[in-house]
Amino acid sequence: MKEIEDFLRENKPVVKNDPTFILETRRRLDQVEGIKAEVDRQRCYGRLALIITLVAGLALGVIATAVAFLYPVDADSVGKGVLDSVRLFLTTWKQYLLLPVALLAIALSLVLMSGKRSRSTF
Amino acid sequence: MTQERFISLVRAEQEPLRRFLLALCGGDAALADDIAQDALVRAYVASGSFLGLSKFSTWLFRIAYNCYIDHCRKVRPDQTSLEDAVALPASETSDASFRYQQLYQALERIPEKEKAAIALFYFEDKSIKEISAILNMPQGTVKYQLSMGRNHLKQYIQL
Repeated sequence: MKEIEDFLRENKPVVKNDPTFILETRRRLDQVEGIKAEVDRQRCYGRLALIITLVAGLALGVIATAVAFLYPVDADSVGKGVLDSVRLFLTTWKQYLLLPVALLAIALSLVLMSGKRSRSTF
Repeated sequence: MTQERFISLVRAEQEPLRRFLLALCGGDAALADDIAQDALVRAYVASGSFLGLSKFSTWLFRIAYNCYIDHCRKVRPDQTSLEDAVALPASETSDASFRYQQLYQALERIPEKEKAAIALFYFEDKSIKEISAILNMPQGTVKYQLSMGRNHLKQYIQL
């Protein structure tokens, strides 16, 4: 058994000194950096779009809730226009309007908090 | 980890890493370097998860070994042959070439885990504990693999 151990220790595979190896590694790592930057950019755009959508939804929700509570319409005296129909709908369901608004606010705060956490990780 | 820091760590480890993969690939230097490059890219992408709890070389060798195993799974057994396994260093004497030929052919005949354990222990002078971490197996199993590997190699190498 000693012989085989000596044979293995005396015949280690020989690696040719290849200066292009590190150059090739650097080239591949640069490519990885490029891909990472592109992925980060896409993720940033997606996050921005999500935040804009949530903020717009939250603003509309707050306005709708305010209209429903401040300017309620009477079902008997309301007209047949689109705006009147919307106001009637809001007045009818006004007790439930705060729920989607609250959900939007929670979603927005979660998105903003997760953004802070991922930035601190890198 | 910055790219420069990573490259500086790799510069110190590239020769042992390539030698380890060369032994695993049966002397095919081009294939060994290709797997090494693949492993380095994977390591760089995952460098954020390297917490310094083990040595950088141990972590890198483990990734390289996993890359090699992935490569073996992709390649069908009928695509390889023992003749492919032999790549003789041109600058070596014929006697040394014969020894390398014997060594690579013998390594190609033994199971992957035994081959990896033999390469790490005898060519890279890694401790049993490090080999255990690299190959993800208990230390007792590493010793068993080394013992089995030596017994198998003895059958194929004429001393």
